[in-house]
Amino acid sequence: MHLSPMPSAIVATELSKTYDVKVRDPGIKGALAALARPRYRQVRAVDNVSFSIERGDAVAFLGPNGAGKTTTLKMLTGLLFPTAGKAQVAGYDPWSGGNPFRQRIAFVLGNKQQLLWDLPPEETFRLNRAIYGVSLADYTTRRAELVELLLLGDLIDKPVRQLSLGERMKCELAAALLHQPEVLFLDEPTLGLDLEAQQTIRTFLGEYRRRHGATILLTSHYMADVTALASRVLIINRGRLLYDGELSELVARIAPIKRIELVLSETVSRARLEEYGTVAHYAPPRATLEVPRETATAASTRLLTDLDVADLSIQDPPIEEVIRIAFGETEQDAEEDTVRTDVQRAPP
Amino acid sequence: MSPASSRTPFATFRDQYAELMRSAFLVDLQYRASIAIWLIWGVTEPIISLGIWWSIAAGGAVDGYTREDFARYFFGVALVNQATLSWDAWNIDRWIREGEMNHRLTRPIAPIHEAIADNVAYKTPTATIILTMWIIASLFWPAVRIPFEPGRWSLAIIAIVLAAAIRFLNGYATGLLAFWTTRATALVELQFGLSLFLSGRIAPLSLLPPRVAHVAEYLWFPYVLSFPVEILTGAVTTSEQYLRGFAGQAIWLAIWLALYLVVWTRGRRHYGAVGG
Amino acid sequence: MTRFTRAMIVLRAFWQLNWLEELQYRGNFVASLLGTIFWLVMAMLTVSLFFRHTPQLGGWGYWDVVVLLGIFNALAGVVETVLRPGIGHLPTDVRSGALDLVLVRPVDAQFYVSFRRLDVWRLADVMLGLAVSGYAFVQTGRAISAWELLAFAVTFAVAIAVVYAIWVTLMSLAFWFVAVENMAALFDAVFEAARYPVSAYPGALRFLFVYLIPIAWTTTIPASALTGRLNPALATWAAAVGVAALGASRVLWRVALKRYTSAGG
Repeated sequence: MHLSPMPSAIVATELSKTYDVKVRDPGIKGALAALARPRYRQVRAVDNVSFSIERGDAVAFLGPNGAGKTTTLKMLTGLLFPTAGKAQVAGYDPWSGGNPFRQRIAFVLGNKQQLLWDLPPEETFRLNRAIYGVSLADYTTRRAELVELLLLGDLIDKPVRQLSLGERMKCELAAALLHQPEVLFLDEPTLGLDLEAQQTIRTFLGEYRRRHGATILLTSHYMADVTALASRVLIINRGRLLYDGELSELVARIAPIKRIELVLSETVSRARLEEYGTVAHYAPPRATLEVPRETATAASTRLLTDLDVADLSIQDPPIEEVIRIAFGETEQDAEEDTVRTDVQRAPP
Repeated sequence: MSPASSRTPFATFRDQYAELMRSAFLVDLQYRASIAIWLIWGVTEPIISLGIWWSIAAGGAVDGYTREDFARYFFGVALVNQATLSWDAWNIDRWIREGEMNHRLTRPIAPIHEAIADNVAYKTPTATIILTMWIIASLFWPAVRIPFEPGRWSLAIIAIVLAAAIRFLNGYATGLLAFWTTRATALVELQFGLSLFLSGRIAPLSLLPPRVAHVAEYLWFPYVLSFPVEILTGAVTTSEQYLRGFAGQAIWLAIWLALYLVVWTRGRRHYGAVGG
Repeated sequence: MTRFTRAMIVLRAFWQLNWLEELQYRGNFVASLLGTIFWLVMAMLTVSLFFRHTPQLGGWGYWDVVVLLGIFNALAGVVETVLRPGIGHLPTDVRSGALDLVLVRPVDAQFYVSFRRLDVWRLADVMLGLAVSGYAFVQTGRAISAWELLAFAVTFAVAIAVVYAIWVTLMSLAFWFVAVENMAALFDAVFEAARYPVSAYPGALRFLFVYLIPIAWTTTIPASALTGRLNPALATWAAAVGVAALGASRVLWRVALKRYTSAGG
C-alpha cells in the first residue's frame, strides 16, 4: 500500500463471498428432516479475489456462467457485502459509502432493466436527472451527447415496450450515464443482442471512456467484447481469479485459434477433415475444426471449395474452452472447488 | 465531476419527488382502464355491507345507527379506504423476487421514496374520483349528504393523511419481510382480514361485540379507517374523542415508522449477506 | 374418434403433467388451505356480526345463511381450481400471442383454454365449502327429501355453469380491451355479493344481481334447495338461466375469436 494523489478507481483486496445453501434430501422425508434440522452447505461464490483498476481503464471480467462475476460486481456496487476481504470503489467502501458513493457509480444489468417499461426512455432520463441531482444545463449537454453517440434518434420518444432488445440496452446505458459516473459497472451488457447493437455499444463505450475518463468494468462471456473494449482482462472461474493481465498475453497463451463449425452435405471422414485443422468435434453431418486464427479464412475457403458444405461458420472458442485451454481446468475441479464444507448447524 | 453541486439538498429532494410522482402518474395513465376496475373492486365491499345493513335497519335504528347513518358511514369507508389502501407489500415482494430491487439499491435515494411518490400519485386522483362520485350521489340521495363544516373537514383530511401514512408504513414494513420469506404478502392478507372487523370495514366499531371493539382500540386498525370515517360522518364530536384519535394515530405512526427503520436496516443487511 | 374423446385424451395428458408439477408445491397446499380456512372464519364471523343485530337476513336464519356461505366457498373453490388458472389466463395469452399456439391445436379452443390447467390443491376449498354447508344443514335440523337433494345437485351445476359463463364473457372482452389486465378483479368484486342471500339486498341491488349480473343464481338458488325455499318452477327457471348463460357466452366467445383471427392476431 502506498499513498498516491490519484487512488485507483477500484481496489479489491482478498474479496470472498460465501453463501449458505440449505441442503435437502429428496422426498418428503428429506423435506421433514430439513425442517427439523436444517443442514447448510457453504458455497464459495467468490474466493479470495484481489485486483485493482486505475482510473480511466476499461477491464473485462470474463468467465462462464456462475463463475462469480456478478457476485463480485454486486460487492463492488454495494449490493452485497463481502464475507471476507475489502473493496474500495471511487474512494469509498461500497457497502457503507451511501449516497455519495452511489452518485459516483452506475450499474447496468444486461438482463434487468431500470427503464420505465410503459413510458418513453425520455421519462426515465428525466427521472434520473432528478434522482442524481443533475443540473438542467448539464443534463441538456449530456443527453445530447449520449443521443448522438448511441444513435438514439427518435427512439427516446417511443414507449420502451416497443423497442427491440438492442435499442433498450442503448437507452439503458444512456439513462445510467446521465449523472456522469466515475465508475461504470456493466453486467453482460451485450447478452442476447444482435450483432449491430453489440457493435454500437462496444464502440460507444470506448468513445465514452476516451472522452470522460470513466473507469469501466464489464462482465461478459463474449470474447469479442474484450477484444473491442479492454486491453486488460480478469478471468474468473469457480470463484477464483485465474488470470489478470493483458489480453494479448492471454491470446498468446491459448495459441490463438478460431473454430470452424461445419454442416456437411456429404460424408467426409475424420481423417480427411484433419487436413484442414484439428478436429475438435466430429458427429456427422456436423464437425468442428480448430484452426490458427490467421489461417481461419483461408481454411474456410478451401473447405467450401473442396467439400460439399451445407453450412459453415467461424467463431471464437467459447469462454469455457479458453479457460480449459489456458488453465487446464477439468470438470472434477469444479465439484471440489465450489463445495468446500458440509457443515451441520443447529436450527436458528 | 460531482453532479449535485450548487443545489440545496431540499431542492434536490423536491425535484426527486416531483419527477417520481410525474412518472408514476404517467404510468398510471397507461393503466387507467385497469385502475377503473380496481376502483370498482374497492367500492363493492362497502356497497355490499351497506346493502345488508340497510336491510337490517329496515325495522328501525340498529344500536343508534339509522339507514342514513349506515349510508354515510359506508360512503366514508369507500373514500377513506381508497385514500389509504396500500399495495406496497406486493410491489416490494416483486422487486425482491424478480431482481428489480438491485438497481433501486444503487441509486442515491432510498426505495421507500419511490413507493411514497407512487402512492401519492395513485391515491390523489383515485380518491378524488370517489369523492366526486360521493358528491354526485349526494345530489340525488339526501341520505349521504354530510353537513358543510370546514373545521371538521380539515381535521378529517389530516386524519386521512395520517391514516394513509400508517397504513403505508405498515404495508411497506411488512412487505420488506420479503427479504427473508416468500410469504410476506400472506401476513398483509392476514391483517387485511382482521381489519374487516378491527378497522370498521364491515360495520361501525360500536356495533362489534364490546370486547372485540375494546381489543381494536389497542391496535392500529381503528386509526387507519374508522377514526377518519367517523370524523366525516360526525360520530366523532367531543374534543376528547378527537384527542384520543389523533394521539392514537401519532403513536401508531411512530411505532410503524420505527418498525420500518428496523426492518429496513436489518433486511438490507440480510440481503447484503445472501443476495436476491 | 369423436371430437369429445379426442378432447378428453388431450386434457388427460395435460392434467397428468399438471399434477406432476403441482406435486412439487405441496407447501402451497398448506398455505392455501390455511388461507381458505382463515377467510371462511372471517366470513362466518361477519355473518355472526349481522345476526347480533337481526334475527334474520332477507328471511334467512343464521344456519341457512351459513349453508349458503359454504356453497359460496365451494364455488369460489371451483373458480380457483379451474377458471382462474385456465380461462383467467386468456388476457395474458392474447397479449403475449400464446393464444395462437392454442388455436392451431385440433381441439375446440374454448374447451381447451377453459380446462387446460387445474390448481388441484384448491379442490380442498370446494370440499371445505361443501362440508360447511353440510354441517350448517344439520344445524338447521331439517330433513332432506330425495327431490331436494336432486334439485340441489342440479342447481349447483347450474351455478357452476353461470359462474363459468360470467368468466367466459369477461375474458372474451379481453379481445377488445387488450390493455385491461385485471378483468378477473371485476368478477371478484361482484361475486362478493353472492355471499348473502339475494333477498337480503335492497330492491335496486337485488334487480342488478338477478337480471344484469346473474350472481343471484349461483348461491341463493342451490342454498334454497337445501333450506326448503325452492319450488319446481324456480328450479326450472334456474336450469333455463344456466343454459341461456352458457349459450350466450359461447356466442360472445365465437364473435370475439372471429374478430381476433380475422385481425391476424
